[in-house]
Amino acid sequence: MIDIDAITVRFGGLVALNEVSATLSAPVAGIIGPNGAGKTTLMNVVSGFITAHSGRVMVEGQDFLALAPHRRAQKGLRRSFQKEQIADDLTVLENVLVQTDWSLTGWSAKRAEAMDMLAVVGLADRADKIGGALSGFERRLTDVARCMVGKPHLIMFDEPAGGLSVDETRQLGDLIVQIHTLTGAQTVIIDHDVELISRICAETLVLDFGRRIAFGPTADVLADPRVKAAYLGTEEVAQ
Amino acid sequence: MDRSLLRITPSGAAGLIFAAASFVFLPMVLGSYWLAIFTSAAIFAMAISGVAFMYARLGMVSLTQVGLMGIGGWVTLRLNYLWDMPFEVNMVLAALATMICGWILALPALRMRGLYLALVTLMAAGGLEILFATYQFPNGGEGFWGVKIGSNAPFRRPALAQTPEAYLRYVIVVATLGFLFIEGQRRLFPGRAWALIRRSEAAAMAAGVNVTLYKTWAFGIAGAIAGASGALLAGSLGLLDDGTFRSSESIMLFALAVVGGARFWLGAVIAAVLFRVLPGLLNTWGVDTDLAFVIFGAGLLHALITAPNGIAGQIFDLVANLRGKKGKTHD
Ligand SMILES: Nc1ncnc2c1ncn2[C@@H]1O[C@H](COP(=O)(O)OP(=O)(O)OP(=O)(O)O)[C@@H](O)[C@H]1O
Ligand SMILES: [Mg+2]
Repeated sequence: MIDIDAITVRFGGLVALNEVSATLSAPVAGIIGPNGAGKTTLMNVVSGFITAHSGRVMVEGQDFLALAPHRRAQKGLRRSFQKEQIADDLTVLENVLVQTDWSLTGWSAKRAEAMDMLAVVGLADRADKIGGALSGFERRLTDVARCMVGKPHLIMFDEPAGGLSVDETRQLGDLIVQIHTLTGAQTVIIDHDVELISRICAETLVLDFGRRIAFGPTADVLADPRVKAAYLGTEEVAQ
Repeated sequence: MDRSLLRITPSGAAGLIFAAASFVFLPMVLGSYWLAIFTSAAIFAMAISGVAFMYARLGMVSLTQVGLMGIGGWVTLRLNYLWDMPFEVNMVLAALATMICGWILALPALRMRGLYLALVTLMAAGGLEILFATYQFPNGGEGFWGVKIGSNAPFRRPALAQTPEAYLRYVIVVATLGFLFIEGQRRLFPGRAWALIRRSEAAAMAAGVNVTLYKTWAFGIAGAIAGASGALLAGSLGLLDDGTFRSSESIMLFALAVVGGARFWLGAVIAAVLFRVLPGLLNTWGVDTDLAFVIFGAGLLHALITAPNGIAGQIFDLVANLRGKKGKTHD
């Protein structure tokens, strides 16, 4: 469970997040909102890359805002970035192993876990392929596998389906819904693809101009007239 | 254990063969003038591997390497005149002391990036230059600085390497171990952390990598390598001169590491040959050795414009093409 309590973030005069609160408890939860709504900023606050002006974030009952980013990762937080972050000169397996290198678990156990997760995402046969030779989708899947190792509590994906085809997005969605059963971790996913969100997320938080405009079961939220006005409205403008 | 730790790549095999051939043949064919030059070149190849590694793996520009070699040399000479320990013990202690200096250098340097990092390391090199010029290197005198006027007290060379020929072989072995140590680090968890840090520090942190720790570790490794090569330099002559450790030499060493190709063992060898053998060659031809600087400059322009992986990168690409392999080089 992730408990976001009155988070405010300012960049100079811009209020990127304005007292945003939400308690996300579904195995897969979504965050949606138009461009610039503050979705990535919220993820950056939780993962420690941006310091909130005020507010609190608790993950599984632990206060996270006091920890350095790498300590949060060691405490079970995972995140991906809008652009996948795969090192080109490491193999797929090495890109996953990085995530658990800090832990004192035995080498063979860590390797076995990494191979298991690569099998889950369907990359077991390409474990020794060098990062630079991967396709966009393979890179994204490697990123997902990396997020799944090391007994995570909370995994956050920032627009994981960006740049993927309809088919690949479907595969990725199927993968994400399995994460909770496979690892026990809760997943939070930011995406513009409302179809993907409504298919895999039980609950959804909607942000607009740094404010929470709706939060609850995804179907209810998507039916909310304010969400339609704010989110779907700009969606039309964007297209 | 990591299974890939002991994997031998074509480039690695070539390097080991090159080292073995140099070990066997160089001392057989070289006269005393060239023995001294090649010994120095092998020592600097090892020092260059330290800066090259920091640049290739983390994009960090260190302009203190020769200054750190001076620290290693100073510690070695000091210990030599202080106690009766064998050269090897002194060399290891010098490497450790220099590693700690590398960490101290990392403290301010890690808050900086790019040009600012380079400037901080250059300032450190300048400070060391002044220290060495002021206090000189120990030669058997009294007191902490151990300097006396007149002839030097005897220096204990390694028991295994009493002749110049044997010393060149000794240096080649130690330098090879240095290269293997760095390569081993690269293949294990530090290498994975460095690769991700270079990709993006944020991604590394998100993967639980302690970025400061691993950058500091890199400084420590480059420092230890510099310290050991400083010890070897002290061992080759039995004395050191502060003129060897000017900050300009550190800049030159870094520039040549880029010219040679920072990602490859061959790059460090090429850089060391340019740094030490080329001036020696010009000298025997009766040409002004300052011509070497012109050649270095041309080499640097060449590297910046056409060869981001340096001369070594071009050579390995060429070999790969000749063997009909497509794609880019991996070291
Ligand atoms: N580091 C920063 N410095 C200054 N302003 C920032 C910074 N990061 C984000 N912002 C601003 O904060 C607002 C929210 O940005 P954020 O990236 O969180 O939006 P988002 O909801 O993720 O949008 P998108 O869908 O385009 O990814 C934007 O106006 C953005 O310009
Ligand atoms: Mg965003």
